[in-house]
Amino acid sequence: MLLSTNMTNQELWQAVLAQIQIDLSPANFSTWFKNTDIINIEQEIAQIGVPNSFVKEWLENKYHKKIFKILHETNSGIKNIEYIVKKTNLKTDSKKPNTVIENQLTLQELNNNKETNLNPKYLFENLVVGPFNELPYAAATAVAENPGNIYNPFFLYGGVGLGKTHILQAIGNQIAKNFKKKNIKYISSERFTTELISSIHNRTVEDFKNKYKKIDVLIIDDIQFLSGREKTQEEFFHIFNILYEKNRQIIVSSDRPPKSISYLAERLRSRFEGGMTADISLPDLETRIAILKAKAIEKNTDFSNDVYNYLASLVKTNIRELEGALNRLIIQQKMNNNLSLEEVKKILKGITSSPLKIITPKKIIETVAEFFDLKEKDLLNKCRKKEIVRPRQIAMYLLRQETKNSFPFIGRKFGGKDHTTAIHACKKIAEEIQKDKKLEEEIFLIKERLLSSS
Amino acid sequence: MKLLILQEKLKQGLNVVSKLTPKSLTLPILNNILLNTEKNFLELASTDLEIGIKYYILTKIEKQGKTTIPSQLFFNFINLLPNKNINIELKKNNLDIVCENYKTQINTISADEFPIIPILKETENITIDNSLFCESLKQIVDIASLSNSKPEISGVYLCFQKNQLIITATDSFRLGEKKIFFKKPNLLKKEYSLILPQKTIKYLINVFSEKTGEIKISFSLNQIMFESSLQETPHPEIQLVSKLVDGEYPNYQEIIPKKFTTEAVFKKEELLNQIKSASLFSKKTNEIKIKLNIKKGEMDICSSNNETGEYQSTLKSKIKGKNEEIIFNYKFLIDGLLNIKSSEVLFGFNGDSGPSVLKPVGDQSYIYIVMPIKT
Repeated sequence: MLLSTNMTNQELWQAVLAQIQIDLSPANFSTWFKNTDIINIEQEIAQIGVPNSFVKEWLENKYHKKIFKILHETNSGIKNIEYIVKKTNLKTDSKKPNTVIENQLTLQELNNNKETNLNPKYLFENLVVGPFNELPYAAATAVAENPGNIYNPFFLYGGVGLGKTHILQAIGNQIAKNFKKKNIKYISSERFTTELISSIHNRTVEDFKNKYKKIDVLIIDDIQFLSGREKTQEEFFHIFNILYEKNRQIIVSSDRPPKSISYLAERLRSRFEGGMTADISLPDLETRIAILKAKAIEKNTDFSNDVYNYLASLVKTNIRELEGALNRLIIQQKMNNNLSLEEVKKILKGITSSPLKIITPKKIIETVAEFFDLKEKDLLNKCRKKEIVRPRQIAMYLLRQETKNSFPFIGRKFGGKDHTTAIHACKKIAEEIQKDKKLEEEIFLIKERLLSSS
Repeated sequence: MKLLILQEKLKQGLNVVSKLTPKSLTLPILNNILLNTEKNFLELASTDLEIGIKYYILTKIEKQGKTTIPSQLFFNFINLLPNKNINIELKKNNLDIVCENYKTQINTISADEFPIIPILKETENITIDNSLFCESLKQIVDIASLSNSKPEISGVYLCFQKNQLIITATDSFRLGEKKIFFKKPNLLKKEYSLILPQKTIKYLINVFSEKTGEIKISFSLNQIMFESSLQETPHPEIQLVSKLVDGEYPNYQEIIPKKFTTEAVFKKEELLNQIKSASLFSKKTNEIKIKLNIKKGEMDICSSNNETGEYQSTLKSKIKGKNEEIIFNYKFLIDGLLNIKSSEVLFGFNGDSGPSVLKPVGDQSYIYIVMPIKT
């Protein structure tokens, strides 16, 4: 036997296997020596990696002498052996079970990265960029290249289903790719609140805080849900400050600008406004068509340009709905090849009729009250407090605009007011919209909510 | 080895250990069970090299010794013997078995070749009421994924916390979570979260579910052991060790919906019955449609199939939220309902593409989440 200390661990173990093989039946040999190796040799101890505890017991009790003899003969430096159960790499079997039904939806979150909570499917590569999200996209890529140093905090806002979460998660995924060591955490503000509450309940608030203080990139989605939650806002404020001072990147999203989030502590609001704010507006027709085409390619299908045009003109305000409509077509397409425009129109009939939702006065009052975090009855009584008068005027304006009700009717609806009050309110809001960008945005958001809820 | 044992006792033990013996062509010793005497106990053991089990029977031992014997043959033979004393003696390579008028000799393989079952000693452990533990596992075990494409979710997740044990399984289409609340905080120094192979849990239920009393669970880095004790004397009766599934269980808490767009409470049996009826008329894809009508306070369950016909039935209930039409795989709904023990069940919906929930009314310990089929 060659006495050589220059052998690699692998060669050394191969020497052991080669010898032991001679004395064993092939079945025994493969049962007990498959997936074994030398992990390390240190301080005269050879650490042997074994796949499970059964093998560990067996080698320790039955083959220890033989293994030791061979190892020692080959490398006299080895005076002892330790057997360690290794973590085995999980075997993945790419075969899908055939019981799965094609359209059965899955719990997507199970694919999320355990540490960062990011969903790997949201990437910059599959984001469709158009005039509506050019600015946020540019800012987002800049943040991803240089987290913590350029736009901090980065505040992204825009309506439902326009891809806020996509951009947020894409930043996270890109940073994870560029900077392997960064500790990234994506969390919805609701989840943040529940975590905080349960930590208060279990008296582990310190652990909770410490966990967040260690984060390099904190991404919080839908921050508007913190509205009115004072304790959560306070804790978030402290975490925010600590991270900010250390130049850690903070990324936040909301369905409206910081100014319009009601019941948000002033100090938090000014923090948000101190960084970069970018909004996603509505995608124009061309962009909507581009999105549809990209999605169709993703799903390995294609439609005629007429179909894309029609679909894009049908759904205007929500990319998620656009995708939903496209998915419907894809299913139909699979069953009866190549859909004509007529067939498409028939299939999507359900969607075309949906914009014609009936907007009732009740609905408007409900939505306005919810938007401003007021009670409906506050709007309907005679209270003259400033914070109520304004929303009431907005509600009257919307009632006139959306339902074309008469002024006397509107007056009666709001606790028996005179029709002149209603006329005044509508005129005032109409005038102010021209001047006040913020008001315009608010009214747009309320309208959007009116249409999106059913 | 020489001993005298009651047929009944030996049969009970063999019934447990013989279920684990795999048909191994490569390593014939695994088809055998180990007979080993330990002072006043006869130890029966078997293993498939992932799970190992030991079963102890208080026995009159005349001469110590050990051997292995083909599992099925031995079990089948003992099963047919009368419930009388059996004399067992090892003579060279044969096991002599004498019971009343029956007399036989069975060939053995030396016990030296039998794998050593890695019993956990002096590691952290916890004791739980056995029947509660097994009942809870039963509610969850069948949900685990059968596919190997994601090994983490092919197992059942157990998380031992200070005040509760959480048992979870999912196959990515649905997810079940069961909690066992401890009456007083346990003494574990840390939380243990581990993934057990589904096979282990199934076998565990098989072995322990009829037993009363407590089950002791011991933890180590890559193994877990379940142990029950003899009632007559402080000595282990059954010890079951299993490997764990390596890997991290997904952060599933995010999936559990906090809110519903529509929700209603139904009588469980009625709901189950209607879904089962609808299943008779569903297509190969197992689809049934649920229509919720708020105004009428009705939930319709419909299915149709070109070959068999059409089905529709209605359940009345106070339904909160908005009207919905959602398609489900009826199998998933039935699986969830069968594991709910209460007479009333809460059915919560989140539109036609969000997770729906089935939950027993008045019981916070169980929740079942299921995804619809895309329209």
